[in-house]
Amino acid sequence: MKRIFSIAPLVAVLAVGGCDTLTVPDFNNPGLEDLQQDPSRVNIQLLAQGLQIGARATISARAGYISALGILGRESYNFDPSDPRFLTGLLIGPLDGSSNAFGGAHWVPRYANIRNANIALDLLDQSGDAFSTEEQEAIRGFAKTIQAHDLLLAINTRDDFGAPIDVGGDATAEPAPIATKAEVLARIVTLLDEAAVHLGGGGAAFPFQLSSGFAGFDTPATFRTFARGLKARVQVYQQDWSGALTSLGESFLNATPATLADLDEGVYHAFSSAPGDVVNGIFDPSRLVIVAHPSVATDAVAGDDRFDRKVASIPSVDDQAQAGVSTTWAYDVYDKLSAPIPMVRNEELILLRAEANLQMGNLQLALDDINVVRQVSGNLAPIDFATDWSTRTADGRVDELLYNRRYSLMFEGHRWIDMRRYDRLTDLPIDAGTSFVRFSRFPFPVRECDARVPAPSQGCSQEVGF
Amino acid sequence: MRTRKVGFALLFLLVAGATSAFAQTRVVTGRVTNATTNAPVVSAQITVGGTTITTVTDADGSFTVGVPVGTVQLIVRRIGFKRNTASVSASAGTVQITLEPDVLRLDEVVVTGQATGMERRNLPNAVSTVSGEDMAKVPAATIERFLQGRVAGANIQSNSGAPGGGIAVELRGVTSFIGRSPLYVLDGVIVSDDAIPSNVNEVTNAAGGSNPSLTQDNQVNRIVDINPADIETIEILKGASASAIYGSKASNGVVIITTRRGRPGAPQINVSQRFGFSDLAKNLTREFETAADVDAAFGAGTAAAFNFDPERNVEEALAGRNALSYESSVSVSGGDASTRYFVSGLWKDDEGIMPNTGFEKQSLRLNLDQTVSDRFRFQVSSNMVHTLGQRGVSNNDNTGTSPWFVLASTPRFVDLSQQADGSYPLNPFERSNPIQTMELMRNDEDVWRFIGSARVEADLVQSDRTTLQIIAVGGVDRFSQDNELLFPPDLQFEGDDGLPGTSLLSSTASENINVSGNVVLQTSTVDGNVISTTSAGVQYETRDLNTARITTRNILAGQANINQGSNIAVNEARNRVEDFGLYLQEEVLLNDRLMLTAGIRADQSSANTESDKLFFYPKGAASYRIPMNSGLLEEVKLRAAYGESGNQPLFGQQFSPLEGRVNIESILGLQVPAGINNQIVATDIEPERQREFEAGVDATFAAGRANLEATFFHKRVSDLLLSRQLSPSTGFTQEIFNGGKMRINGFEVALGLVPVQTNDVTWVLRSTFATNTSEITELPVPGFFPQNSGFGPDLGQFRIEEGQSATSIWGNIPDGAGGANLGKIGDSNPDFRAGLTSDITFGDFNVFGLLDWQKGGEAVNLTRLLFDAGNNSADCTNDPETDPCLGSATNPGRLRSFGTNTAVYLESTTFLKLRELTVSWALPQSFVSGVWGALDNARLSLSGRDLITVTDYSGFDPEVSNFGNQAIGRNIDVAPFPRSRSFWFGLDVGF
Repeated sequence: MKRIFSIAPLVAVLAVGGCDTLTVPDFNNPGLEDLQQDPSRVNIQLLAQGLQIGARATISARAGYISALGILGRESYNFDPSDPRFLTGLLIGPLDGSSNAFGGAHWVPRYANIRNANIALDLLDQSGDAFSTEEQEAIRGFAKTIQAHDLLLAINTRDDFGAPIDVGGDATAEPAPIATKAEVLARIVTLLDEAAVHLGGGGAAFPFQLSSGFAGFDTPATFRTFARGLKARVQVYQQDWSGALTSLGESFLNATPATLADLDEGVYHAFSSAPGDVVNGIFDPSRLVIVAHPSVATDAVAGDDRFDRKVASIPSVDDQAQAGVSTTWAYDVYDKLSAPIPMVRNEELILLRAEANLQMGNLQLALDDINVVRQVSGNLAPIDFATDWSTRTADGRVDELLYNRRYSLMFEGHRWIDMRRYDRLTDLPIDAGTSFVRFSRFPFPVRECDARVPAPSQGCSQEVGF
Repeated sequence: MRTRKVGFALLFLLVAGATSAFAQTRVVTGRVTNATTNAPVVSAQITVGGTTITTVTDADGSFTVGVPVGTVQLIVRRIGFKRNTASVSASAGTVQITLEPDVLRLDEVVVTGQATGMERRNLPNAVSTVSGEDMAKVPAATIERFLQGRVAGANIQSNSGAPGGGIAVELRGVTSFIGRSPLYVLDGVIVSDDAIPSNVNEVTNAAGGSNPSLTQDNQVNRIVDINPADIETIEILKGASASAIYGSKASNGVVIITTRRGRPGAPQINVSQRFGFSDLAKNLTREFETAADVDAAFGAGTAAAFNFDPERNVEEALAGRNALSYESSVSVSGGDASTRYFVSGLWKDDEGIMPNTGFEKQSLRLNLDQTVSDRFRFQVSSNMVHTLGQRGVSNNDNTGTSPWFVLASTPRFVDLSQQADGSYPLNPFERSNPIQTMELMRNDEDVWRFIGSARVEADLVQSDRTTLQIIAVGGVDRFSQDNELLFPPDLQFEGDDGLPGTSLLSSTASENINVSGNVVLQTSTVDGNVISTTSAGVQYETRDLNTARITTRNILAGQANINQGSNIAVNEARNRVEDFGLYLQEEVLLNDRLMLTAGIRADQSSANTESDKLFFYPKGAASYRIPMNSGLLEEVKLRAAYGESGNQPLFGQQFSPLEGRVNIESILGLQVPAGINNQIVATDIEPERQREFEAGVDATFAAGRANLEATFFHKRVSDLLLSRQLSPSTGFTQEIFNGGKMRINGFEVALGLVPVQTNDVTWVLRSTFATNTSEITELPVPGFFPQNSGFGPDLGQFRIEEGQSATSIWGNIPDGAGGANLGKIGDSNPDFRAGLTSDITFGDFNVFGLLDWQKGGEAVNLTRLLFDAGNNSADCTNDPETDPCLGSATNPGRLRSFGTNTAVYLESTTFLKLRELTVSWALPQSFVSGVWGALDNARLSLSGRDLITVTDYSGFDPEVSNFGNQAIGRNIDVAPFPRSRSFWFGLDVGF
């Protein structure tokens, strides 16, 4: 009996419960929930600054956007023996959405940054008087432009599979439906138009810091000319030629460049080897891994300075498996760890105007722009309108346009998209033998398919290629 | 905190309120001796039947005990002996008791509660015990190696062949997806088994590819620091039915380690010296016989350009080192009735098969036992350890630096060895020369660790039918781990990133502190037919793990200091968990036949979202011994047990982090982490819950010459901590939540047999067999590929899918139309594991062998994929129409088909290994004494570890894990550290 009495207090302890101060905070990272409850000026500044970091994510990686689009567009190879899928996944196929780094890549970081912009915009709406109205507008304009850029990169890889656009809601709720490519492009245009209005009322300066990649475009007014240039690219993709010309008129287009530097004017992703920063990983000093596709050399016009400037001869390197893929060329496009990668630059704008004019039948105007690029960038003779240009077929003139886009914008992520836009992917060389194929689009990541019941009707199986 | 103080205060009141009563009226003295050798048995425990009175024998085997009037039964127990009961008549004052050796260890006392234990004969669970003596046969770096093949239900696998550990212990199947090793309790202190990456990832960039996990550094789990020679016993509580009293930390099982302690008597000195070496067990590269074959494979002129020599073997040049390893250990124990000590020292150096690899350990232990009065005792245990792990570079890689990654595309005949002028040839086939890398790099992991504990026992009440004991245990496990890595700028690959030379420094501090207070009340009825043990207690524990890392690139030649570079990056990670727990347990033994146990544990932890919520874990068990005494069959015990336990969330899982670490040109920004592992936590998370029912039959045959233990278990795990996938278009990729259910059914058999036991020859056989199957019975979300479960399903990845096993490997299955669909292609869980040990002693000779057999299970051999991609797999041929590697458009070899058929790289992990083999000879006593009079005994031994492996697996070893210790996502083979065999010569002497 005594024992029962003795035990009773202990049972009471068990029943009452123990300790009420076992709380340990996250020592390592700021928390999302804390941030969302604190719409302070500094938090929103950090979010706005983070958008440039998010926009850059994986762009310069060796399996990243520029490298992968270079491989698919037969501009480059990645002979990294660490992963045979640079060969088997991207050149032999099928393109597999279940692979995070290959078929399913170029998706997660884009939508993560779209979320970043939405978090910033939501917080800005609750920020009270932390910012002046002009400052608020500047941030909105910046965030929507970056958001549009990320959405463009997402649809660039998925093409006619489409992409979700209404993605700002509760992340654990039913995912947003997948919109068609046309709807996605239209959404990008809408975002850029809204951004232009915000930037127009954005005052004299951004209330946050921008990297050197935005040099010359670091006020709301100048940044707006970048947003217009980006819109022109999207409108060319939409084949809205006159719209593109209008946008180009508001962009930073300089049609009379005197030097290469004038052509390079634009907005860039900045990189550095400083602590915590990201380097440009497609700069490969070994010249064994990130190399140029041999067709880059065979297709170049003799004396084209763009080829001479951007491509270097190297001892032959090949894939280890002797599958028949080799090259003797490497790139000088990115020549150091801090080499920036363009988002939009003047040389592209000139060629966008040439393309819009060409498609609208303004042959002389189109040729003028092409000749500027040929001369300044390629050190090539101008094409004569009467004896040459006017005698070419429409296809022949597109050939010239695409040639110039290829060598002017080489290894900047355009070639594959251009060939797809003009339905010329089958003109891409298929390297070595019948097992090599070309692709027009990436499937959705397997996570995107798994999270949707039922899975989307297309884009969720392996992409076999052709 | 406030409530906890209240708890301690109540405990104090409880014990202070108890009274003391003694009814002993006479004294019995006696002596306990070994029945076969007549030697005195020291430290045997004598219990007076029907009472709770106990005493122990001294150095002479003698004892004195006060007993009630009348005839009494004295029950004598000692580890290694069968228990014996002696009747002492009412008039007798002295007694002689002999004990028979207990070769099969049927009568040992097994720890079953936080502060209590019971005899194996009454145990309601299948608790496996391995004694320290069994472990001393063949040297190994870490204790898990000694458990392989010896414990039914423990699937223990090395992650690689690297010296110094990295071994996963899975008890009774995969029970969680978050991955955590069993709970290790050393002398009452919860000790860390964390595995902290070396940060070699900064060079290999292993996490820069498809899987961002930093666990690809071939890291060592820190239980490796324990000195195996210090261990008295290891007890393994395999599931919730046995481990429930450890509450929310017990779902992966509990491994209770008890170290050796001093025994009364003259100092016993044992010295052991061993020498040995390790040898590369296998080659992977392709063999060539003729120059024509070489040119056909690697292009015309290759053979001439690299002076083809079929005898030259770059793998042997890289990993053919047979450097001398040694292990010296000494232990001294002794003391008197009041003070006993055990002191041990170890100096061990295992040299690896590659340059700059190896494992060193120095350990010093002092265990002290002091009896202050017959009511008050305390114990102090302390261990200082230093280990130095040198594991080189291995596993996954994205920079062409991991040796077998490089050899995948480097022909075996290429001479990469250091030349006469001191230079190393450039490897034209890859970015690095692995011989240069391994000879010039350094990857040192220095750990200094102190584990100390104190245990105080006070008998508040000591009457003949009641004892009330208070036991307080406090301990600390503190270690610092320094990883210093240096890759000098002149290494071939070092300039590839534009920043030649890399120096890495990581500093980790781990601190586990536990305190517990326990009260144990034992009562016995007058007739002794009902013995009750009630225990209760409180526990408080903190675990801190902080790591700071510095990476310096572009360093000055010849400099290792992290200041001497241009590019310096830092990283810090801090973890802290605080736990509080209470328990109450009742054990009742009726007529020494029926054992009933019930208990409950309540836990709260800062790892849960609601850190002040208590989670309750009940248990209940019963066993009944049926004496047979009919022919061979001596006794049968039926047993059944049920228990619940938890598995806490990992630190960090309760947070939705943002990333502020990445900057752009020093401009800070906040963002949703861009990696594929970014997460949000939508719901409150709490521990997973395991419910286990276990039932079994134990039978003893032929006077204890054979013993069979058969156990069935059924586990149900609910509230699984799942990291389910979100649509990445939301910006987040995973949500951590509790949900889903899983069940695991299994069967285990342990058989002990003494076929021969004479004065000259003893032959002991032990075998184990275990099998289990799992099924995910309920999943509230669509099936998904969890984080860190592989490199993506196209390379074989683990998937969580309702109705499938928890260890399913998924991949592409051809759809017949050129594409493929994802589906299950394999399973990492073996069909069964079995072990067999044979221990034969004849005269002065002893032969010991241990066979370990795994049947079934599959692994994804991506090393083979790499070798195929380098046209360098052993089975590659030059005929495009039949070549199984690369093939051609018409004969798609493995390389061309794996994009739609992942199974071409799936291989069976069936193996049979001769883990241990030892032959030893005890030198004749006359000779030993002749050499030096003080010598008591001496023994010579020859032994080997992993001498023979029989397997069809084409890689180094079917025991493999690129991602280290994790529950799922093991069995992925990516250029691991190669497997080796080790050979030892030893001399053990006693004084």
